[in-house]
Amino acid sequence: MEESNEFSYPGLYEVIFMKTEKFINTVLNWGRSNSLWPLTFATSCCGIEMMTFGATKIDSDRFGVLFTGDSPRQSDLILVSGTITKKMARRLLNVYEQMPDPKYVIAIGACNVSGGLYHDSYNTIEGIDRIIPVDVFVPGCPPKPEEFLDAVKVLQKLIKENRSKAQKNGNIGQA
Amino acid sequence: MGKEKIMRLNFGPVHPAMHGVLKVILDVKGDTVIKAQTEIGFLHRASEKIAEMRYFSNYYPIMDKLDYVSALNMEILYASVVEKAANIEIPPRAVYIRTIMAEIQRIMSHLIFIGSFGEDIGNMTGFIWALRERELLMNIVEKVSGGRLAPMYICNGGMFYDFPQGIEEEILKVLSVIENKVNHEYNAMFTKNQIFLSRTKGIGIITTDMIKKYGITGPIARASGINRDLRKVSPYLAYDKVDFDIPTEKEGDTYSRFVVRIREVLESIKIIRQCIKDLPAGPYKTVVPWIIRIPKKDTLVKQESPRGEMGVFLVTDGSDKPYRLKLRSPTFFAIHALQELLVNIKIADIFVIVASIDPVMGEVDR
Amino acid sequence: MVILDKLKSTIKGDLEVIDSEPDLLVIKIKNKKLIKKLAWQIKEEFDILYSLAVVDYSPDFELNYIFSNYKNAEILILKVNITEKDFAIDSITDIFNSANWEEREAYDLFGIKFNGHPDLRRILLPEDWPGHPLRKDFKVDDEIRNWTGLDLKF
Repeated sequence: MEESNEFSYPGLYEVIFMKTEKFINTVLNWGRSNSLWPLTFATSCCGIEMMTFGATKIDSDRFGVLFTGDSPRQSDLILVSGTITKKMARRLLNVYEQMPDPKYVIAIGACNVSGGLYHDSYNTIEGIDRIIPVDVFVPGCPPKPEEFLDAVKVLQKLIKENRSKAQKNGNIGQA
Repeated sequence: MGKEKIMRLNFGPVHPAMHGVLKVILDVKGDTVIKAQTEIGFLHRASEKIAEMRYFSNYYPIMDKLDYVSALNMEILYASVVEKAANIEIPPRAVYIRTIMAEIQRIMSHLIFIGSFGEDIGNMTGFIWALRERELLMNIVEKVSGGRLAPMYICNGGMFYDFPQGIEEEILKVLSVIENKVNHEYNAMFTKNQIFLSRTKGIGIITTDMIKKYGITGPIARASGINRDLRKVSPYLAYDKVDFDIPTEKEGDTYSRFVVRIREVLESIKIIRQCIKDLPAGPYKTVVPWIIRIPKKDTLVKQESPRGEMGVFLVTDGSDKPYRLKLRSPTFFAIHALQELLVNIKIADIFVIVASIDPVMGEVDR
Repeated sequence: MVILDKLKSTIKGDLEVIDSEPDLLVIKIKNKKLIKKLAWQIKEEFDILYSLAVVDYSPDFELNYIFSNYKNAEILILKVNITEKDFAIDSITDIFNSANWEEREAYDLFGIKFNGHPDLRRILLPEDWPGHPLRKDFKVDDEIRNWTGLDLKF
């Protein structure tokens, strides 16, 4: 079949639609990136540092990371801090599936990145990216609270540039 | 009334008010719990199996993550058991530095308890304040060891580094700040706060018989009138050279468990002050090779961790790795008591009672 | 320790003293059926089962019952050997209530059966976990490390 090489200009309405969609997306992403309400999935050591992250010295509230509610139904971000064991794996998946789209994941600590200290243990999972898609990895055992802040900044940048895992896969839910 | 159904309620393992990953299965009639079962093991990371694969010196990081709120106590405990098994003498300066660090860690652990207890009963200010004071001590730990939560400071025969210059004055300065805050601000926030008192007094009573039945130790036992502290009963480190009291209460309710821990903070401050005053000069470690071999024997060492009596039973067989390492964790026994403790109480009180046990699941599940 | 004479009078000849220090007494019994009889005797001096450490000397398994009390720093370690052929021992949960979870843990990680235990289930690992991981013949290989555990029912 012959292909048409003819170049056609988009119509006026199309242009307006495209521009508006882009504008709306930018505004939405700006909004999403600055109101990351986390679900604190604290299982072990990194959870204590996460408490420090929310407390006075670091004060995550400044960046829109409000520790409110703690319900998976109302959070955008899951902060997986602490070792995930094999018994816990299905619980993590359940909680993750309850969250509304778009959802972002920050894996905190060496255990969640690659297994870390417990790489030769029979009951831990070597990296939670085997179970759920992860946007930002934070190495360290446990990482300092400042690194949590860095991870949030990185995630905000990813969201603004439409590069988070949820946005790439098109799971952005209903705007 | 007879038509009321029994409802099964799952608390945890992912619940913001549950400490760590403890799961409690409750049978509820109306608002009252009629049966409670606890399920643990969500953080079972196989610390005892990993011990059989590591050299004696390489096990300290795992020990850090056992009771991650009081990591230095765990390191000191493990160092003690290895040194006892291998007959390593540590210099007096190391003994005193270990005592100071153990007590600093005990204060930090209790501050976390105060903070999370406040958070659980809806007293968010208490949480923010306790973590603010903890951060001061965290800075000292960071200056001394280089790490924060998991410092990796203790090694076989002593510690990796000596105290940095001028840290003693800094510790004393921070201690006076904390003593001031505990004596004044925390009293206003907790022990003289009418809401706090009505929320905690008279609930979750653990009697002396229950303590003995379940084998509970530490601050929980002391809140029920059992005057036992391993630092006095079988003194280790430099505890026989310092003067301190064991705070005890009689009631055994959540309030007295809180008060015991608050008063323990003040006692720890007293211990650190005396240790800094008598801190001897000299070497800070006995040089020990990294890989050591320990002949075939069994060694049991027990020490008072902030949560109770922590013990290590080490079996060696002459090789460079432990043959078997069994950890005796205090909150493992305390959580067992929850099944009796949570019966016939209201749902709103569950959080207060669980928080007053102060479980750290890393140590329960190992 | 005072208790040693008492225990010796209870069991004649079957008791071996391994170590005796001021605060520590290590004894060993050969016959595992005596454990309940001894536990009643020990109950008079010691309040709690401090810990139960199982050591795998395959094919023999050594159970270290560690007893403690609230009065002083005394510790009694009672060693009992059981073999893989007859992999069960009497539970002492009805004598020392604090032994309940420790015995469940030993059942979980080593597979030792405790006769007469009120609620012998796994405690740390899920019910459908394959094998008993703290035995020496359980090797942590790539298969178990790569398994995510999502197919576990409990």
